[in-house]
Amino acid sequence: MSLPEFKLLRPRTVREAVDLLAQHSGNVRVLAGGTDLVPSMRQKLFEPQYVVDIRHISVLNGISPLRDGAVEIGALTSLTAIERSPYLRQHYSVLSEAAGTVASPVLRNMGTIGGNICLDTRCLWYNQSLQWRKSCGFCIKKDGDLCHVAPGGTKCWAAFSGDTPPALLCLNADIEIVSAAAIRRVALGEFYTGDGVAYRKLQSGELVTRVFLPAASADYRGVYRKLRVRGSIDYPLAGVAVVLKRANGHIADARVALTAVNPAPLLVTGATAALLGNVLDEALAEAVGDMAAKTAKPLTTSALTPEYRREMIRVFTKRALLAAAN
Amino acid sequence: MSDFSIIGKPIAMVDAAGKTTGAGKYTDDLSVAGMLYGKILHSPHPHARIVRVDTSRAAKLPGVVAVVTGKDAPNPYGILPVGHDERAMALDKVRYVGDNVACVAAETEFIAEQALELIDVEYEVLPAYFDPEESMKAQSDFIHDNKPQNIEKDYHHVFGDPDKAFTEADYVAEARFIAQEVTHAAMEPHSTLASFEIDSQTGKPGRLTVWSSTQVPYYLQHKLSLVLEMPMSQIRVIKPLVGGGFGGKSEVIPLEIIAAVAARAAQKPVKITYTREEVFLAHRGRPRTIVDLKTGVKNDGSITAVKARVIQDGGAYCSYGVVTILYSGALLGALYDIPNIQYDGYRVLTNKPVCGAMRGHGTVNVRFAFESQLDEIALQLKMDSAEIRRRNLLKAPCITVNGLRVQSYGLPECIAQVVTRSQWNERKGKLPKSRGLGIACSHYVSGAANSIIRSDMPHSTVNIKIDRDGGIVVYTGASDIGQGSDTMVAQIAAEVLGCSMARVKVIAADTDLTPIDIGSYSSRVTFMNGNATLRAAQDVKKQIATAAARKMDCTLDDLIFRDDVVVNKRAPVAATPANGSQPTVVHAEASVSGRVEGQILRGSLQQKRKDEGPKARLSFEEAVVAAIDFHGALSGTGSYAPPPEARGGKHKGAGVGPSPAYSYSAQVAEVSVDEETGEVTVHKVWASHDCGRALNPTSVEGQIIGSVWMGMGQALTEEMVWKDGLLMNPGLLEYRSPSSVESPVVEAIIVESVDPEGPFGAKEASEGSLAATIPAIANAIYDAVGIRLRESPFTPERVLSALRAKKKQKHINLTEGVDPTAPTTFREHGGSLCFKGKGPERHALDPARREAQVATGGAD
Repeated sequence: MSLPEFKLLRPRTVREAVDLLAQHSGNVRVLAGGTDLVPSMRQKLFEPQYVVDIRHISVLNGISPLRDGAVEIGALTSLTAIERSPYLRQHYSVLSEAAGTVASPVLRNMGTIGGNICLDTRCLWYNQSLQWRKSCGFCIKKDGDLCHVAPGGTKCWAAFSGDTPPALLCLNADIEIVSAAAIRRVALGEFYTGDGVAYRKLQSGELVTRVFLPAASADYRGVYRKLRVRGSIDYPLAGVAVVLKRANGHIADARVALTAVNPAPLLVTGATAALLGNVLDEALAEAVGDMAAKTAKPLTTSALTPEYRREMIRVFTKRALLAAAN
Repeated sequence: MSDFSIIGKPIAMVDAAGKTTGAGKYTDDLSVAGMLYGKILHSPHPHARIVRVDTSRAAKLPGVVAVVTGKDAPNPYGILPVGHDERAMALDKVRYVGDNVACVAAETEFIAEQALELIDVEYEVLPAYFDPEESMKAQSDFIHDNKPQNIEKDYHHVFGDPDKAFTEADYVAEARFIAQEVTHAAMEPHSTLASFEIDSQTGKPGRLTVWSSTQVPYYLQHKLSLVLEMPMSQIRVIKPLVGGGFGGKSEVIPLEIIAAVAARAAQKPVKITYTREEVFLAHRGRPRTIVDLKTGVKNDGSITAVKARVIQDGGAYCSYGVVTILYSGALLGALYDIPNIQYDGYRVLTNKPVCGAMRGHGTVNVRFAFESQLDEIALQLKMDSAEIRRRNLLKAPCITVNGLRVQSYGLPECIAQVVTRSQWNERKGKLPKSRGLGIACSHYVSGAANSIIRSDMPHSTVNIKIDRDGGIVVYTGASDIGQGSDTMVAQIAAEVLGCSMARVKVIAADTDLTPIDIGSYSSRVTFMNGNATLRAAQDVKKQIATAAARKMDCTLDDLIFRDDVVVNKRAPVAATPANGSQPTVVHAEASVSGRVEGQILRGSLQQKRKDEGPKARLSFEEAVVAAIDFHGALSGTGSYAPPPEARGGKHKGAGVGPSPAYSYSAQVAEVSVDEETGEVTVHKVWASHDCGRALNPTSVEGQIIGSVWMGMGQALTEEMVWKDGLLMNPGLLEYRSPSSVESPVVEAIIVESVDPEGPFGAKEASEGSLAATIPAIANAIYDAVGIRLRESPFTPERVLSALRAKKKQKHINLTEGVDPTAPTTFREHGGSLCFKGKGPERHALDPARREAQVATGGAD
């Protein structure tokens, strides 16, 4: 499968990049690590006339602890760098752990945190070659008006399959979005829509440039658990991130977030309330597992059966909580 | 133990440097001047009649040189003489999603892909068949007109008196087993470059040269000749380095024919390399299989009878199908002593990509069923599961009830080895919770005793030429596909001629240069081509020895060829150490590492010193010079044909299964099961393999480890997921071969039974081990958590479903309604397709269709 023809643009500054995005608005894609975009372009899921390669904007690369204990991470920072950063491992371990489970070592060297946040939603009926999609019939997400996963539905259920966003949600991360006109900062939780097609609130012409981890989220105990068939390479088929903090043996704060079982990564609502002030035991962990399983809406977008994946959200949530508490 | 200087040593593969540095050339690395890129248009329908193909728009696209369709080469072909049902491209019908319709040859890959979009094909969609048991009930719209009920072939064999034997059994087990479909997933995607020379006399396309990633260059030459209507002598097939085959390149794959057809039309060389998705569509993998198995035993564990009914979902064309279904039955024999066998095998056509030969061809899925059932029986009889296998050993040498001749039989030693090394007796049943041990055995042929195209022709021929400087060139048709046949051939030649590996150059798998060999499949190469090499080397050695004996004034029997020296063992020579009984460490001018510079000069000088009288020793090159002076040119030839007594019985279908020798394997797997998630971890596999003699132990160990690993893939993670004939996972991301992370420790144990007919006693090493791995893991899972899985692969949701059922926990439909402990039918991917075998009729709930109904008043 050859790549479609396109013009490659290589800005050196954020300003240049957003100007190019504005100039070619609607007909342009951003290339950072390329691990998601390039295979999709070969499959003709995207055929932009322009590709803006932002890899040479050096200010977007790096992990910078700030004076107040917060951290700023450039969108181009590789997943390997996040996995290995001693600072993040010490203070924001859930993020390092999640980053270390993405794909394989080679892909983590290429892939970036910004790319993982912006990762396109995935579905077995969508991430296929043009020939395959023609044979099957196109779907809502690309070129069609039918959902193979939920026939009759008009909503796309393609699953958000990034590993780091649930960890970032647990850490109450913000992201910085830059366009030619403005710079805005949004909570990551506000970034995703829950729809498989327009899965993120990012206008054409906008670029995700930075991730902020607040000081208040530092030094939580964190655990990420990922369901996959192979110990490497695979996208998550279900993923659970957990952070918690204790005072006198009681939970002082906690958050639970899921990935790969909905069109967006989601915080499990009610989990914090259920955990707060309690001593974590098996029964409580199970109860929160049940809540998480109710939040999950796995469908036949991915391998393994939806019922199994939902069940694993239950089990993995319980295990992650117990692991974080130990 | 015999004393060898080259064989039995861990010698690096002769092509290792090129492969590891990237300098080695695979087919896709090749290009020739003026070469075009070919792209194939595939069918979007599982079953449809082609009403019309219009290529005119595509042909007009700038950069497109030729567009070809089925009409450009209508002759049928197929790997089996009984299965000539494929065509270069579809003529009248397409039979699976991915069937070949047309091909564009263009200046770039991109242009060729664009041109595909401009080919207009009108299809009349036909009802399609996806499930083999449904397909067998078909009344009309057969996939091939000459195959009623869509049955490619069925066989019904009865050996002994199974019915009576079942009544005499003390215990009878019966169950249905299902194995899902798997494919080879070789690292190198198929690639072919075809180039015609312009004939100097006519100015038209003349001789054809094809470079292709193939296991069978001579079959490719033969099929090209059929389809292109050219004499074989005008076709040269060259096999460059091949990045793995496993059976997926063991027959003619559509692109190989299509590239030649396109090159002829374009009058320019054409290269086609499959995308990974196309590799999955070309497939030829292991069919999903239903095995209804019944085994009767006496209380002492001895098997009285076996009855197997096997249905294979073969896909849309015959391919190797007839052979696969026969192997499934024939290889019920020759592992254990089974006096009565009934076998009913059905190879069924469906509208899916074509199944063919895959590592362990035909035996793997039946072996999974058999070894699992044997484990259940052992439990029932309260007998150790290693012991029940010992109770059913063959008394070799023998001929089995279904006509298979077994000579060397290392199975008892294989079982003993894995039992000892795994501490089976000490640890079985005493492991921590959720952890278990399982044992299983398997076997495989060392090549088929009867070739695909029946004839008395040798299956392998090898020529050897030795030049004046003692350089040896071996010409062999054997196809090295990564298994190391070039190295094996070089080792045998060097061993026989007593010289260093560096002297030996192997020219392989080039139909213009090398004598015919029928290919690298059914694990035949070491046994057959190895024997041919052995004989060719002995032939040429005899000529050298004759001349050397004259020079050394001794008999042929007095001569020893070793370490690049020919020695008269009777002559008292100071150089020979007196301590040893054998003249082993005689160091010659040419060391084992093989520096052989300046030999011609030295040889000539030494040749002149004839007045020195008879010598006690000659250097290898001196001996060669003497032989060339004596005989003229020095060359030898050797060939191999399996002996008539190894060729099997007389019943219909008896031709498949017989082999000159069988390899044997036993394995113990240690696994643990996560009872909350159903995830299975394989911690270690002890794998013993009787390969007769290990010509290259490192290579044999590699093959054992590779087999275990591939078997583990089929056991745990690999599965082609279908939805109405559409492959849901046509790529290596979603088709999950294990990664290095899941690879268990594999303790490879070589057992050497020294076969009387194998080259230096060698048998096959690369396939037999695979089949034992799947049931060993299944049995270990049972030992760990007490669930008997009868459907492979044992994915976490299947394992968890069985665990929950066993614990009588709340039922959750984890497996789409199929019980993995008692499967009845194949499970397909959930979700919905817009066609259900009736072509792209939109789904009833499709919004577009609902709107159309509203617009037309609708139908409530």
